[in-house]
Amino acid sequence: MFAVDILPQMFNHAMSHPLIGSYGLPNSDSTFGPKIQWLWNFWFWVSVFFTVLITGLAVYFSIKYRFRKGIREAADPSADHNTPLEITWSVIPLIIMLVMFVLGFKYYMDMDQPPSGCYNIGVLAWQWKWQFSYPDGATTSTLYIPVDTPVKFSMTSKDVLHGFWIPELSIQRDVIPGRTMTVWVKAIHTGHFKLQCAEYCGDGHSEMIANVDVLPIPEFKKKLAQAADIWVHDGKVLPLHVVGKKIAELEGCLGCHSVNGARGTGPTWKNLAGSQVKLVSGTATVDYAYLRQAILYPGHKMVAGFNNVMPNYYTDFGGAAHKKHRKLDALIWFINSLSVHANKASRPPVPDMPGKASTLSASKQATAAPATPATTAAVKMPAAALPMIAAGKKLYASMGCIGCHTVNGTAGVGPTWKNLAGYPVKLTSGKTVLADYKFLRFMILYPGKKVVAGFQPIMPSYTTALAGAKNVKKLDSLIWYINSLSDKASASTEPPTK
Amino acid sequence: MTAVDMPGKPKLNYLNCDKSIKSWLLTLDHKRIGVMYLIATLTAFFIGGMLAEVIRTQLLVPKGLIFHATKHMSSFAAYKHYNQVFTLHGIIMVFMVLIPIIVAGLGNIVIPLLLGAKDVAFPRLNLMSFYLYVGGAIMAIVSTIAGAVDTGWTFYTPFSIQTETYVCFMVGGIFLIGFSSIFTGINFIVTIHKMRPPGMTWFRMPLFLWGIYATSIIQVAATPVVGVTLLLLILERTMHIGFFNSALGGSPVLFQDFFWFYSHPAVYIMILPAMAIISEIVPTFSRKHIFGYEFIAFSSLAIALIGFLVWGHHMFVNGQSAELDTIFSLLTFLVAVPSAVKVFNWLATMYKGAIKLDTPMLYALSFIILFTVGGLTGVVLGCIAEDVVLHDTYFVVGHFHYVMFGGTMIAFIGGLHYWWPKFTGKMYNETMGRITCVLLFIGVNVTFFPMLMVGAEGMPRRYASYLPQYQPYMIVSTIGAYIQLVAFLMMAGYLLHSLFRGKKAPDNPWGGATLEWTTASPPSHYNFDDTPLVIEDCYDYSNVKYDESIGGYVRTDVPATTEPAPVHA
Repeated sequence: MFAVDILPQMFNHAMSHPLIGSYGLPNSDSTFGPKIQWLWNFWFWVSVFFTVLITGLAVYFSIKYRFRKGIREAADPSADHNTPLEITWSVIPLIIMLVMFVLGFKYYMDMDQPPSGCYNIGVLAWQWKWQFSYPDGATTSTLYIPVDTPVKFSMTSKDVLHGFWIPELSIQRDVIPGRTMTVWVKAIHTGHFKLQCAEYCGDGHSEMIANVDVLPIPEFKKKLAQAADIWVHDGKVLPLHVVGKKIAELEGCLGCHSVNGARGTGPTWKNLAGSQVKLVSGTATVDYAYLRQAILYPGHKMVAGFNNVMPNYYTDFGGAAHKKHRKLDALIWFINSLSVHANKASRPPVPDMPGKASTLSASKQATAAPATPATTAAVKMPAAALPMIAAGKKLYASMGCIGCHTVNGTAGVGPTWKNLAGYPVKLTSGKTVLADYKFLRFMILYPGKKVVAGFQPIMPSYTTALAGAKNVKKLDSLIWYINSLSDKASASTEPPTK
Repeated sequence: MTAVDMPGKPKLNYLNCDKSIKSWLLTLDHKRIGVMYLIATLTAFFIGGMLAEVIRTQLLVPKGLIFHATKHMSSFAAYKHYNQVFTLHGIIMVFMVLIPIIVAGLGNIVIPLLLGAKDVAFPRLNLMSFYLYVGGAIMAIVSTIAGAVDTGWTFYTPFSIQTETYVCFMVGGIFLIGFSSIFTGINFIVTIHKMRPPGMTWFRMPLFLWGIYATSIIQVAATPVVGVTLLLLILERTMHIGFFNSALGGSPVLFQDFFWFYSHPAVYIMILPAMAIISEIVPTFSRKHIFGYEFIAFSSLAIALIGFLVWGHHMFVNGQSAELDTIFSLLTFLVAVPSAVKVFNWLATMYKGAIKLDTPMLYALSFIILFTVGGLTGVVLGCIAEDVVLHDTYFVVGHFHYVMFGGTMIAFIGGLHYWWPKFTGKMYNETMGRITCVLLFIGVNVTFFPMLMVGAEGMPRRYASYLPQYQPYMIVSTIGAYIQLVAFLMMAGYLLHSLFRGKKAPDNPWGGATLEWTTASPPSHYNFDDTPLVIEDCYDYSNVKYDESIGGYVRTDVPATTEPAPVHA
């Protein structure tokens, strides 16, 4: 079967193997590449030398000094120790080891310390999906990297360990829940690569692969602009079920739910809406209310035959944060578009056109929903605050906030900053408080003391970085930035101006 | 070949002195316990090996040949089974094969023989250690039937806390096996300290004992740490105490530190006894005194001690501070030096020898070459900048299989063939032995070298499916695994044949000068009739001569024991 057509492939592969030039490492397209390649080549030749030496001597002695009956039955008299020789073959490997250590250490220091002025990208990993967020508010499932620009990644995980690994860019770092991991790279060529999860993370580990596009800067900007507003494409408002499909890809739904009827980790979405499903206890009709509940509270009404493994999407779609219902509805529109059983009860209500909902096709209804721009601030900020907002935006990226908090309404490991200031926030203690200046200050300086409902107390402490009189400006600029993202920012939520 | 059987009643030995099942199950005889350990560990090796063949077969095609999406099963559900298979392969091979097979298997049989002693210091503890191993293995089997773990043998948190498989049972089993390992270590340390015969000073000990001594120190000092770690993991899973789970305020990295504090020294538990076997085989088959005795002895201790301080090199990309990375990298490079010293000393031993390429020596040569490849690939992994592009790839898998399989298992098989005539009393087919060794050597390289290449290209480890460009390497590697399977079937064939139909072995078939060759093959229940007095150098072969009439070697100087004149008439 595979053996026949694989042979020429293998031959071609061997001939084009980078071994010819780089002794097995892929050609690296980042600035780390040449150093790593040089050290690898050094090690390669040292290894070849010692392997040939040791194998050669072992074989040579075995032949030259082989036991021969009547001719060579006993060893020649020779010394059984020689201290100068022992010292020689201890010191020579030691020197080679120290050379490799020093070079490996030196090169690693460059890789460990990001230069100042990096472009910042947030990386969020969960089973079994990568999501990338950019300072301008875009969120993507393909990693876009601008070429010739130092880029710093601030990474965290929603659940277990993952590994951020792009062989062609020579970068790897574990992604650990509860921590912000950073790694940086400067790509020197454009290209298309794969980001493979390197740290074992469960069932879908080997499929947790994201596309990586290193792009020229203008193209990079264009991609981000397209990604920034999921409701619009090329100036045209998209049908809701198309937006829903985008959301499904972005949130990783399709990793477990197929759209073609194939059995997945979760039930297929094909012909799901409007059908009857058997639950662990009883049956249910898959209507709009059921779909909403299944997405917001997975595990409450389990479909029979599946395990309770779905992550909680409460914060992504529902929760206290408003306006996300539109995303949830778009997703349910998408699920409806896959089903021949879809009906009025299974489709989201369309308040704009109540009378026609049952007669129109899903896509026509969808276009009726108005789109709101995702990233513009609704409240005009005082001109004096603009430099502070800009500084806060920089800090947001460089301090790693970007790893957990999005600015476009998508939930991350922490609450999104879009429309946070001035809105009521429900805490794990059950209390609901208004997100004013005092509250935001407190939450940044003393993470874990108060926690927003639906999130875990895993934010690292920024007390040393932001507390005290000398850091007031930094802290305030961050809060200014948070304010700039909200349509309910007011004097009580903004930092005091003198 | 002269038959050495006495007419009439065969001579009583440890195998035939009492044949009841009870006499085996409740035996305090170190040789019988060693044989039971060998049977248990080889059974585990067979299961682990079959799992390896399943893994290699799965990886023949990018989307998986055995576990892949079907009408009834999603790809992820199928891959979960693959994950369970590689996890079991790792757990079985590490905890149930590599750690006990040389020390507790071969070591139990030959340590008292090498010392001219009647038994180990604590025979009852020895039996208990075996039953702890069996108990642990039973718990592992139960957990596998109930819901095989899919965490990888490293049990990294928080995945091992979150998975619904039976982690607690498996971890409990490993906890028991850990105690088995500690007891064996204590036993051998005391045995080597207290039971050396008169005249055997520390520097007259066979080097095998130095290797076992260094190993036992690691077993006793490091194993409790993994025991505690695994208990904490059980507490975390059952009572949700937040040691390792960041959602509960714990640290997943702490688990890695704890785990590798044991599991890195554990690789020296596996490789030091292997090196110790090579230090016995090479001089015997070169008919020449071991070169640099003291350097080999001290290098074992140096590896054992430095080996405690290098665990952080498993965590170069998990965000530990650059200072720690640097220290661990430096120490990792230092531990490479004593290993290199050993290799050069073995080669110097062969220089000007009279080398007989019998099966054990072929395995020793295989070990030297394969261990060199394994060691050198380890060097590049210890280099921080290079580790970034190799960490968690197949390069690591290739590296540690070269060391663990090409090193430990090849040395074990060499030692098994070396001492086989001694503890079974039978010879095996020498030609078959040599052919199998060459076949196995080829199989190992065909399996593991492509892993190094595909890893350098970037393929991550523990992948149930992979990008299509890696397929050629995967196919070659799988062919290698099948070659190994053939070699092992051949080995099982001729060794079983030897047990039932083999020629009777002489007391000293290879011309060894250590004490075990001075007693009968197989030895009597009490090993030696009298405590030997050690006056000779155990690596001096000038007085060990081949005797045509018995098909083995005899000492031509003063017999080392006061055993009555040879029974072979």
